Amino acid sequence: MLDVRPQPALHDTVTALTQRLFHEARLLDDERFEEWLELLCEDVSYHMALKSRRFRADRSAPIAVGAGNVFNDNLARLKLRIDRLRSGFVWAEDPPNFVRRVVSNVEVLDADEPNEAVVHSVVVIHRNRIDGQTRLLTAGRTDRWRKGGESWLLAAREIALDHSVLPDSNVNVFF
Amino acid sequence: MDVADLVDTSTGRQSRSIYSSEPIYRQELERVFGRCWLFLAHTSQIPQPNDFFRTYMGEDDVIVIRQKDGSVKAFLNTCTHRGNRICRADRGNARSFTCNYHGWSFAPDGALAGVPLENEAYFGELDRSKFGLVPVAQVAEYKGLIFGNFDPAAPSLEDYLGDAKFYLDVWLDALPGGTSLVGETQKMVLNTNWKLPVENVCGDGYHLGWAHAGAMMAVQSMDLSGLSVGNSSANLEGGLSVAGLNGHMALTFLDGVSGYAFYPDPKPMLDYLEANRPTAIERLGKTRGEQLWGSQINITIFPNLQFLPGLNWFRVYHPKGPGQIEQWTWAMVENDMPEEIKATILDNQCLTFGLAGLFDNDDGDNLAACTEQSRGWRTSQMDVYTNMALGRSGAREGFPGDIAAGLVSEHNQRYFYRRWQEHMQASSWSDVPAYNLNSLASREAVDA
Ligand code: FES
Ligand SMILES: [Fe+2]
Repeated sequence: MLDVRPQPALHDTVTALTQRLFHEARLLDDERFEEWLELLCEDVSYHMALKSRRFRADRSAPIAVGAGNVFNDNLARLKLRIDRLRSGFVWAEDPPNFVRRVVSNVEVLDADEPNEAVVHSVVVIHRNRIDGQTRLLTAGRTDRWRKGGESWLLAAREIALDHSVLPDSNVNVFF
Repeated sequence: MDVADLVDTSTGRQSRSIYSSEPIYRQELERVFGRCWLFLAHTSQIPQPNDFFRTYMGEDDVIVIRQKDGSVKAFLNTCTHRGNRICRADRGNARSFTCNYHGWSFAPDGALAGVPLENEAYFGELDRSKFGLVPVAQVAEYKGLIFGNFDPAAPSLEDYLGDAKFYLDVWLDALPGGTSLVGETQKMVLNTNWKLPVENVCGDGYHLGWAHAGAMMAVQSMDLSGLSVGNSSANLEGGLSVAGLNGHMALTFLDGVSGYAFYPDPKPMLDYLEANRPTAIERLGKTRGEQLWGSQINITIFPNLQFLPGLNWFRVYHPKGPGQIEQWTWAMVENDMPEEIKATILDNQCLTFGLAGLFDNDDGDNLAACTEQSRGWRTSQMDVYTNMALGRSGAREGFPGDIAAGLVSEHNQRYFYRRWQEHMQASSWSDVPAYNLNSLASREAVDA
């Protein structure tokens, strides 16, 4: 987990990072993937773990080798996914799906590093798919953004997917 | 309905109604899922006493529980009082299961252990021994894989698997440490009939270069099945399509390394293979130890279990009506592997065939559209075909089964639908034919 001091950031930082999240969502909605990549740090970590439903009182041992992931990506892997989406051969995205992200519950906190901020947010991804059906994917996000020069870049994103069974046939979207 | 008209193995024809008809689906639940051995869990998923794992047999919710004596029992996940679901967790460890509705509690061996107000409300007249959890009729394990069967008259699991064990053992028994499934269950809803993903993985090498062209272009190290991107050309020599084994199938390369050569950094995997190859040969013999162990292999156990040593994903499909499934996937490892290799496999499996899998994400919409195009008034009366390379199969030295050369043929799919039809036509197991074509044992007898 990210180390968080519950210290609200200064107003300017809050505004800048909230705008950053909205801008990011619009780039992704519009499939402007190359511009999205420019918002990421070279050492970005982009992660969504697998989960299961367990009783609150459950004391069974953790799974050997680990839970596994939906995303366990660095910059190279994110580029790989974008190369695939850009190949012209991803039939599930042609015609394009109608995809719209709603980003909300933005909370900006100072991080331990002076040039970093921790940002919590919620994203709802509305996908109206080729079959005419709509799927909604909801996730919580905890990000670490780093100030590089004048602009903020995403250093780490931990995504908590709120579905025990994925209600769609693919995850050709970024959260 | 006349099942004889729904599938014609000699021409490779299937009626589209088998993907959409509700009556056919109800009959499948009875005659396929109600009768066949179904995968429940891997023994590595419930290692300790009182460990449990929830799954489905057809649409029936089932709990699989490790007992104190190390054996495994499976029960319908339903309260014997008013029918509530008794376990709502996916997995875990529990000393008892208490129903949320009125508080009956059941022990891990299925016994009804507690009834609130038993004396006051039931006047002590409830015979608890008649209200234990209802067990699955047969539970058996084959080298770590736990299967259940609702039919007490079903043949033994060993007989059911038959000569498919020759191929199964390439993963299950190559090394003394055995195998595990790792990671949480990767669950996804697909709007497809359950047979379509099975036929896709059991024999459809044809779709790889086209349906997965985007991923193949991006991940250039993955030259799946020798196909070029866009199905423009293919090296079709390099593998076998194996069927004729009681409805089980294999699709395999013969090079002994291709499974692991697909990894972005194959070196540690290939080193592992070469270090352990002598042991694998000793245990499996030369043919399997050299040619199959380490190769990319797709294995299908009829009706709904598939796994791919090499790319290392392991999967069951749970039907949810004629037009929907839940697809469950895990990563599979050999216990003798070093921890770093296990971790690499889990990571790579999630990347390629996980919920956001670069390859897996290409298949769902095709299967869904094939299902949907079988549902209309007109389309439900139409047919579809698996008629590629008809009649081009036979015996092959050293390998059991009826075998077609290469990975691009529709040979395995035809056997899958033949088996489906045999089950659907049979009113009980005594009417289901057993066949293990070109069995090695019988051929040795002839040679001798
Ligand atoms: S339904 Fe389970 S206790 Fe009544
Ligand atoms: Fe596929």
